Amino acid sequence: MATASVQPSQVLEPDVDDATKSDKPWIVIVWNDPINLMSYVTFVLQKLFGYSLEKATELMLDVHHKGRAVVSNGSRERAEFDVYRLHEHGLWATMEHETL
Amino acid sequence: MGNDGARDIVKINKGPVVRTKHGTFKLDLPKDHCEVLTHLITELRDSLLNTTDNASLRRLFPTAYHNDAKKDAEYQRLMREELLASRLASIETALTVIGASNELSESEIDAFARSINSLRLVIGTTLDIAESDYGDPSIESRQLDSPETESNEEKLIQSDLYDYLGWLLEWTVGAQSEGL
Repeated sequence: MATASVQPSQVLEPDVDDATKSDKPWIVIVWNDPINLMSYVTFVLQKLFGYSLEKATELMLDVHHKGRAVVSNGSRERAEFDVYRLHEHGLWATMEHETL
Repeated sequence: MGNDGARDIVKINKGPVVRTKHGTFKLDLPKDHCEVLTHLITELRDSLLNTTDNASLRRLFPTAYHNDAKKDAEYQRLMREELLASRLASIETALTVIGASNELSESEIDAFARSINSLRLVIGTTLDIAESDYGDPSIESRQLDSPETESNEEKLIQSDLYDYLGWLLEWTVGAQSEGL
């Protein structure tokens, strides 16, 4: 009777960095640009994300003074959808993994 | 972001965009303004139908993954055509409503606003507008350093159009914001 033998085999260990990265939410960033009107940016943030005027204004001012603001976060699909909607409205938006 | 120039003009003039109590919008522009807007938006549509790789159109198709070229290429492959179709649909609506006497729906005024903003992005890119241009009494001062040429005259015209579109967009956003 043949006995099962344990053969050494190559095990693919998950890349810890990749695994950790994919668990992190994605963030959507709106960047400052010299063309879009402040009022327009505020309006778009209210319209797309349902933010109050105060919240949208605060984010717009962050974009204006700090150069960027995180306007939403979530899954990759959600972030891509938000980026697309912001691009549709002419805002300069990108997405990346949240860094803690 | 841009702001000052448009606001100054807004204070002086009567508004061309009004939100009615029924939630619709009235667009009241002189005939010559309608003609200029129709011409500019038609030119933009033709440019987009010709190519989206033109440098002046780059702000209409921004990067999505700014620190990952591979992911961005995939995103652009999937989404660029959809974004182009969306822009063209807005433009077609805008061309329909400019000069129309009937009241506009929320989606129609939204398409109009997005088309005006697209024009500003293209003209602003062509003019190489920078943050420091706001608050400057006149951006023309930056553009007329060299002797008068046909190119400078063209820049002055584009600069006036850019300011005008800012004024119009400011009023449009003001009317839209009343409904939020």
